[in-house]
Amino acid sequence: MRRLVGVALAGALLALSGAGVQPAAAAITVDALTLSVKRVDYPALALRGLVLRLDVATSQLDLRVASLRVGPHTLQDVHFACPRAALSYPVVECRGGRMRLARKPLPVSIDFRFDLAGRGARFVAAGDRGARVDARFDPSGRLEARLSRVPIAELVRQFQGMLPGLAGWNPSGVLEAELDWRGAPSMEDQATGGARREWLRLRAGIDNGAFGSADGQRAAERLAVDLSVEASAVEDRWQWVARADWKQGAAYLHPFFVEAGPRIQASGRLRGDRLTVREASVALEGVGALAASGNFDLQQRQWTDGALSVADADLAVIGPRWLAPLVAPAAAERLRFAGRVSAGLRFEAGALRELDAVLDGAGFSQPGPAGGGVSFGPVSGHVPWRANGVTRLQLEIGGARWERLAFGPFALAARLQGDRIGFDRSVIPLLDGAVVLDGLALQRVEGEWIGRGGAVIEPVSMHLLTAAAGLPAMEGVLSASIPALSVRPGEIAFDGALVISVFDGYLQATKLRVHEPFGVASHLTGDIEARHLDLAQLTRTFSFGSITGFADADIRGLELVRWRPARFDARVASSPGRYPRRISQRAVQNISALGGGGAMAAIQRRLIGLFDTFGYRDIGFRCVLDAGVCKADGIPGVERADGGFVIVRGGGVPALDVIGYNRRIDWMELVDRLQSAIGSKAKAEVH
Amino acid sequence: MRSFRWVGMVLMVLAALLPIAAPAQGNLDIDSPAITALRASMQQRHAQLAPLYAAGAVGLAGDGTVAIRDASGVPLAQRAQVNGLVAAENADRVALYREIARANGHPEWEADVRRTFAQRWIERAQAGWWVQAGGNWVRK
Amino acid sequence: MALDMRAGVGAAMLLAAAGCVTINIYFPAAAAEKAADRIIEEVWQLREGQRAPAEPGAGTAPGAPAAEGAKP
Repeated sequence: MRRLVGVALAGALLALSGAGVQPAAAAITVDALTLSVKRVDYPALALRGLVLRLDVATSQLDLRVASLRVGPHTLQDVHFACPRAALSYPVVECRGGRMRLARKPLPVSIDFRFDLAGRGARFVAAGDRGARVDARFDPSGRLEARLSRVPIAELVRQFQGMLPGLAGWNPSGVLEAELDWRGAPSMEDQATGGARREWLRLRAGIDNGAFGSADGQRAAERLAVDLSVEASAVEDRWQWVARADWKQGAAYLHPFFVEAGPRIQASGRLRGDRLTVREASVALEGVGALAASGNFDLQQRQWTDGALSVADADLAVIGPRWLAPLVAPAAAERLRFAGRVSAGLRFEAGALRELDAVLDGAGFSQPGPAGGGVSFGPVSGHVPWRANGVTRLQLEIGGARWERLAFGPFALAARLQGDRIGFDRSVIPLLDGAVVLDGLALQRVEGEWIGRGGAVIEPVSMHLLTAAAGLPAMEGVLSASIPALSVRPGEIAFDGALVISVFDGYLQATKLRVHEPFGVASHLTGDIEARHLDLAQLTRTFSFGSITGFADADIRGLELVRWRPARFDARVASSPGRYPRRISQRAVQNISALGGGGAMAAIQRRLIGLFDTFGYRDIGFRCVLDAGVCKADGIPGVERADGGFVIVRGGGVPALDVIGYNRRIDWMELVDRLQSAIGSKAKAEVH
Repeated sequence: MRSFRWVGMVLMVLAALLPIAAPAQGNLDIDSPAITALRASMQQRHAQLAPLYAAGAVGLAGDGTVAIRDASGVPLAQRAQVNGLVAAENADRVALYREIARANGHPEWEADVRRTFAQRWIERAQAGWWVQAGGNWVRK
Repeated sequence: MALDMRAGVGAAMLLAAAGCVTINIYFPAAAAEKAADRIIEEVWQLREGQRAPAEPGAGTAPGAPAAEGAKP
């Protein structure tokens, strides 16, 4: 009797052994059967308070289970009622049975037939909309089940209690599956004490599948996936091999958009709540080989640890899909990748613990809106990183480009430790000189980089630099000593001096700051001090006519936006000292033109045609630029009754003054005039 | 003696108003070239963000940024773009707060500027847009 | 009666001190709000085609911009 009950329950509940069943009472009479079971415990399954009533006279079968636990999930208040049941010992049959879960009727009609003598059973559930589950139990302990046209959304809705994790994902689609399970515990095994063996094969297909989390950050549509699993177990220790083929559809798994194509083959173990993926290989476009392994906690529904290895990936393919959305989502559409990468990653509790990347001719670039932009590469070398530990990065960089400036090949080595990176001294060739970074150390704090170091620019010839930048050729040398370079969110400060020896004098830039280096607000500020510039060379270079003499300039609060001056307070004045001071007719005309009409007295206008050059005492000009307007002034302390300001004060014979009257000059207009003054010979990009 | 009381009252009122009234004078400079560039960039982006605000896909966060609230209504293939749009907007917003503080000679005001903007964005959001209040999303 | 005045001044100082606690007197909060409103109106184009107010940011009741309607 006890065995009968056991077998019957095994049939009804798919995988119940007789072990642990303690029927409180069981009675079979000709016309009625009542069975109640207080509790059944089984590793993957348990039930409480089962009551079965079969009334042969009215053909009514009624089964209630107060609580049914399958794996980690529990169903409460399961009720099954069959209007057309029949018992002709040892066979119990039912047609048109209905099931209620927590008083909610399931939209399926259930037929079953089972043999209390343990000679198999059949179970058919037909859904209202064509779904069908057909299961057969063999007396040897084999279960064959076929699921067809099962609506996943309906399934999840009905079994919310059992699948709490899935409900939030709103899964839908149609499931077709075939399950073959042998070795549901046989009594012989139990009796002989031999190891219980099981074998399982599942083939499933999901069609028109979809899911979506509440925030839409994980979602898929029109999925077609084929899945097959083969598994075998000895005493609950499962070994499995699985294969998944994603045939159609697309998914957004924040921040990645992925389309159908990936195929996965995997194998592993399952023991209790711990699912081990021993090896999974994924066929993914753009990746030579992708392998993964890890441990998944079924109870917590998360990966406890994992490893991923990527061999020979094409950055041009994986860069835009997998790297850009992760590292630079705002610029994802503008970033370009090239070259190849192989990498190994190890995760623990969802966090990256180790990374090893080997770059082979990798290139990264962000083209500017009008050509230029920034590019870096080809880069080859090894990037190792450990969450807890020190590693050394070693890269060979084939070159870099920043707007029109090309940097030569250099080696980049650094010490990596967690969120810190300390660069070795690196020498980056620039034309005939170099940019030397010394002791630069950066640290990532709350997603932003901060740090400090030093930099030096070893002399670069202005001749080459101006040619490269497309400026009029200048002779001289540029060098810089920046002992304190500091990086803060939104600012890179260069404390030190950048010196250009040019036109016999020098130009020194201090307090250089790059603000918001990576965005539309990017701008550069600094102060410039120029001393003893030879005006003869300067005017010759810019074809501005000819001025002999020397000038000093001070530009305070210079702000360059996209290399165009947006603000400054600039003063130009003749250098102190004794030296010849002559200004050519053309230079006078050009300076006058800068100030607009009426810069010269009519009498001087007649005079100017008579001589080629004029003597001058001094030159002075001040322009305070703000909001597109240059507030102009002339030589300080020289006032004129008519409100004009003196830019060139005459001296010697013949002498003439250049006087400005417009104290508010539109900057763009001034630049236009300057450009037409220096003519077509040179294309200075001043504006 | 009555007049003394009156003087006391006036002093009291004045003293109470002083710390509020003093900084209320004057304007903040928001016309630096960098701020102007940011304003233009954000205005241009708004054409793409406005329908996302209206649909509830993107909301105004309590910290002066924008955040994805529920992208379910956005076509799957465009969700990465929405993510990029949000990242770009936030980069501009953070730069804006920093630049306003910097343009006015007080880089240390950044957090105050951000807080002020956070309140004003939310305050002035259109009906139907989602805003964050105390960490939760609410529909205005 | 001198007591009255002292009380008044004392209260004034207390209030002033309280004011210092609650309001960061170095940060021009009102000006910042005005600046924020100007930028928000520009970015969200709240003013385009609407009545042109004399003072941007002034006279806009909270919640009112919702009715003005930004043009997407």
